[in-house]
Amino acid sequence: MKLTTNEATLLSAVTTPNSDAARISRGLDMFVVAILFFAIIAAFHIHIMLTVGDWDFWVDWKDRMYWVTATPMLLIFIPAALSYPFMMKFGLPIAGTLCALCLVIGEWISRIVGFHLWTYFPYSMIWPAIVLPGLMLMDLVLLLSRNLFITSIFGGSAVAFAFAPANWPILAPYHEPVVHMGQLVNVADMIGYSFTRTATPEYLRFIERGTLRTFGGESTLISTGFSGFVCMILFFVWWKIGEWLTNLGTIPNVVKKHVGLGDDDDEK
Amino acid sequence: MTTMKSSKRNALNVRAALIKSVLLMVLMCVTGLALAHGERNQEPFLRMKTLHWYDVKWSVENDATIQVNDVVEMTGKVHFFSRWPEVINKPSTIFLGNATPGPVFLRVETYLDGVPMIQSTGVELGHVYDFKVILKARIPGRHHVHPMINVESAGGLVGPGIWINVAGNADDFVYSITTRTGTEIENLGSYAVPNVVKWHAIWAIVGVLWLLWWFRRPLIIQRYLLVKQGSWSQLITNNDRKIAASLIVGIIVTLIYANNITKEKYPRTVPLQGSKAHVDTPVNKYAGMVTVKNLSAEYYLPGRTVTVKAEITNNTNSPIQVGEFTAANIRFVNHSVPAAMKGVDVGYPGELVANDSLKISDQTPIQPGETKILDIEATDVAWETERLSSLLNDPDSSYGALLFFYNAKGERIIEEIYGQIIPTFID
Repeated sequence: MKLTTNEATLLSAVTTPNSDAARISRGLDMFVVAILFFAIIAAFHIHIMLTVGDWDFWVDWKDRMYWVTATPMLLIFIPAALSYPFMMKFGLPIAGTLCALCLVIGEWISRIVGFHLWTYFPYSMIWPAIVLPGLMLMDLVLLLSRNLFITSIFGGSAVAFAFAPANWPILAPYHEPVVHMGQLVNVADMIGYSFTRTATPEYLRFIERGTLRTFGGESTLISTGFSGFVCMILFFVWWKIGEWLTNLGTIPNVVKKHVGLGDDDDEK
Repeated sequence: MTTMKSSKRNALNVRAALIKSVLLMVLMCVTGLALAHGERNQEPFLRMKTLHWYDVKWSVENDATIQVNDVVEMTGKVHFFSRWPEVINKPSTIFLGNATPGPVFLRVETYLDGVPMIQSTGVELGHVYDFKVILKARIPGRHHVHPMINVESAGGLVGPGIWINVAGNADDFVYSITTRTGTEIENLGSYAVPNVVKWHAIWAIVGVLWLLWWFRRPLIIQRYLLVKQGSWSQLITNNDRKIAASLIVGIIVTLIYANNITKEKYPRTVPLQGSKAHVDTPVNKYAGMVTVKNLSAEYYLPGRTVTVKAEITNNTNSPIQVGEFTAANIRFVNHSVPAAMKGVDVGYPGELVANDSLKISDQTPIQPGETKILDIEATDVAWETERLSSLLNDPDSSYGALLFFYNAKGERIIEEIYGQIIPTFID
């Protein structure tokens, strides 16, 4: 699309090194980045708290089925929706990475202040999942392909495919077997049992249920595969939602002429 | 004039300070009461017709002071009432635990009828189960400690509680275990946390570097205009593509490498254990020994008295007497029955035992084979302080309780009693 004369002038000004326009433009960048940082922490963190919830809160909820299946699906909403304006309006393939970092920062703040300092849960019980590799792969596929379908298939599924491998190195120590009171459990079970969650009894854990475990014992692989397939669709759907919200446009401000401002031709 | 104004102002300041102090004290009193678990807020029908806890003993006395790492044991019996409320699920899935302010105590072991209760289980109504909960003090403070059974879709049903003061330093708390593979875990609360932090940090650094790669360039105005102009070669350069391709390879290789070293380090792992424990239904040793029939029950509000008219038949070979009436963890003991009085431990929470004796219209023993109609009168302020009087606001205006009978040898027989309860509002 061709730029208007004013836009061309502006582009020329902001690309001139050490110009006032370039400095102001850079200041605006920093200002917007700071606001985005806090806004994404708040939005993405709340979204994950409300949807992934206990699966991400507790080490003894991080199972091979629901945690692995549900988390990537719920992770992809906001990054996919933000990918549209970031990439299609600013050419920035960073929505996934930014969301992942903001989420992890928000999660750690919540775990340290809310879960550990306020309510005494130990860190071994409450660490958040690693989500960055998958969401970053999504960005990278988008960068290289600049194609919605390819990114949906390879980038969307990468969010799920990278989730279990990214987290197994930190989860594995908690899946060592333990015998307690003559019962076989793993360390994560022991932690969940030992550190009292008064209102979250053991039976509330929604883990390892259903028939998935009968598929050759490869629950994690099957969960990941299913999640990856759904993530492909979800990336596409949420990208479209992001596109729709980005291009909603504006409603002409009919009131502003009453406060001394003229009509804006662009708004008509 | 100025002096007068100043002294008046000083007087006002003093008065304001006094008012604030009084308000603060009131507030402190209120917050002091709020330290328990809100057990009084549970509807009376829930507390009277679900679980009846008795013979509850703690290894420390009420208000005792213990140190961090000290162990406390709670034992006793819990009776699952036959007339379980219709509005909540039957206890087909329950979990035995402790009601404490979160993990201020660590749960070491729990048993229901001798069966380990790491997992949840299911129980039968009308039966009595022995429970044992072993806790380890972790966080200093004054904590209210109860046994508790969570019932699926009914929530936590707490037993009687005592106050325990935990002294010492939380940092001194240690809970060590050894895994089946021989790994010695020095402290379960901090186990493998450095590894978690390490991997989070590694990925965060990669993410931050990737963002800085983009943030070092102008972002918003310039890029917006370049997108509009369609100058994608300026927006995403060949260098960006090369870096992106390298990162894809790097991320995948890192994931494979990390999983390989993890597999080497932890070759034996087991998934989370989500099965259900099985507890055999205990035999009801009191079955048929005494027949209790509720004829009427009245709650006399001004006098805080519940009077039950019951028809009692003694089917045993020995004469028996009513020794105790217990409902919602409140115990009304017949002071004229020594065996019943002996059942009240010195350390038992005083607020849960009525001061006055349980009044029985006829204190003579019920002879073998005899049927007697007795008026059983339970009076105490606890009906009010434990908020049991609010049962009149429940959709189910009925009560449930246990009656303890004793024979001359001091042997105890326990039977349920339940029925409608009618309020009397005026003298």
